[in-house]
Amino acid sequence: MTDWLAGKTVRMFGDASAVASAVAAAGGSFVDDLPADILIHAVAATELPPAHLIDAATWRAALVAGLDDRFFQASAFAKACRESGRGGAVLFVGTPEQDAGSAQAAAAGALGNLTKTLGVEWARDGIRTNTILTRDTGPALGTLAAYLVSDYAAYVTGAVMGVIPSDG
Amino acid sequence: MPVPSHHRIIEPPTLDHPPFPPNLFAGEVVLVSGGGSGMGLAMANAFAQAGASVAVMGRSLERAEDGAAQLRTWGGRVQALSCDVRDSAVIAAAFDAVEDELGPVSILANNAGANFPVLAENISVNAWNAVTRIAIDGTFLCSSEFARRRIAAGLGGAIVNNSAQYIWTGFPGDAHSAAAKTAQATMTRALARDWSPHGIRVNAVAAGFFPHASSTSGDAAQTIAPLQNMIPAGRTGRIREFGWISALLCSRLCGGMSGQVVMIDGGESLRRSLMNPDFIPPRERGSVWGWQ
Repeated sequence: MTDWLAGKTVRMFGDASAVASAVAAAGGSFVDDLPADILIHAVAATELPPAHLIDAATWRAALVAGLDDRFFQASAFAKACRESGRGGAVLFVGTPEQDAGSAQAAAAGALGNLTKTLGVEWARDGIRTNTILTRDTGPALGTLAAYLVSDYAAYVTGAVMGVIPSDG
Repeated sequence: MPVPSHHRIIEPPTLDHPPFPPNLFAGEVVLVSGGGSGMGLAMANAFAQAGASVAVMGRSLERAEDGAAQLRTWGGRVQALSCDVRDSAVIAAAFDAVEDELGPVSILANNAGANFPVLAENISVNAWNAVTRIAIDGTFLCSSEFARRRIAAGLGGAIVNNSAQYIWTGFPGDAHSAAAKTAQATMTRALARDWSPHGIRVNAVAAGFFPHASSTSGDAAQTIAPLQNMIPAGRTGRIREFGWISALLCSRLCGGMSGQVVMIDGGESLRRSLMNPDFIPPRERGSVWGWQ
């Protein structure tokens, strides 16, 4: 996987170390601005207490982190891709739907169908969109992430997957 | 209609630039059911390209041998054999034969399948049994034979199943395969859980339209040209990208990944518009898999 991402620039949000390491090992170069070739938004959800114990602000913050911010970053990324005349790859990495309480259940469900929608809506811009929802933080996650944002996965878009058997 | 020139189509790297080093599967023995042609041969090619010893089996020994001849160009050890994946005794004998010639099977690719357009009311008992049992029973019987041997040897392993892009939506005009391919996908998750304690990983690739010589529509340029613009990605799949991702899931690079169904269809299964052309029931279409 030494050259899967050779020459590609990567805008990454979040601190998923396995993903960052694999992307770097595959030759991706991290950048702080757009345009970029790849957007990775990898932010794990914070586990919250039962729904009746969550206040409105906590609920909203979880949805912003798990859904809204991802959409707005992806939208800006895609706009920059189109304006700079290039394709691109978006990858969302997050927590499985039922693993962190009701807010994450809502956010992950929304993110999954958002992924499918953007995968088609942006397909003819040459922009692919995929999601990994997993508890795993090991090298398999990194490999899968790096492959999905590489051109080897040029025919994978709108896909939502996990890494380990209990992710489903 | 051709894909408009201002649309951006992304292609995978060329065949001579695979995603893994040439020795990634050195020492591995891979058995591919339905490996003599088409999607199975693409899987077999990807493993052989990265140094695996590969056995391809099919109902037709002649077809398996044709596939094996192609695989030998990669320079590795290759075996062709005949097998009906619905017969557990025949499967066990096939594993024995591979073990004798190449060594114990360490990776299994379940690709054996059959499919053809047909209205549900016209599916004969024989046709239903053939399509569903090759895919469902065949995947289970080959996988369980593989797992029993790996567990007895105290070794892990990896399995990849070839599913299909229509598994979550259904496929009017293809009831037998729609049922069978979804069974493969849901079975993938269950087998992954059952065999996780034994270090055996099980994943599936749900493939879209990858034209090849033995697919229903073939791969002639004039046949597939009209299909490109109907797919969001702007093209049908390249058989090498299907083979590569199938092999990748079985590699140590994806060690720890199991129970997953990876859709690779260029977004084809996700097409949706609120307004669509008139719905025409399959029995009233010019062709069962067509749209008019």
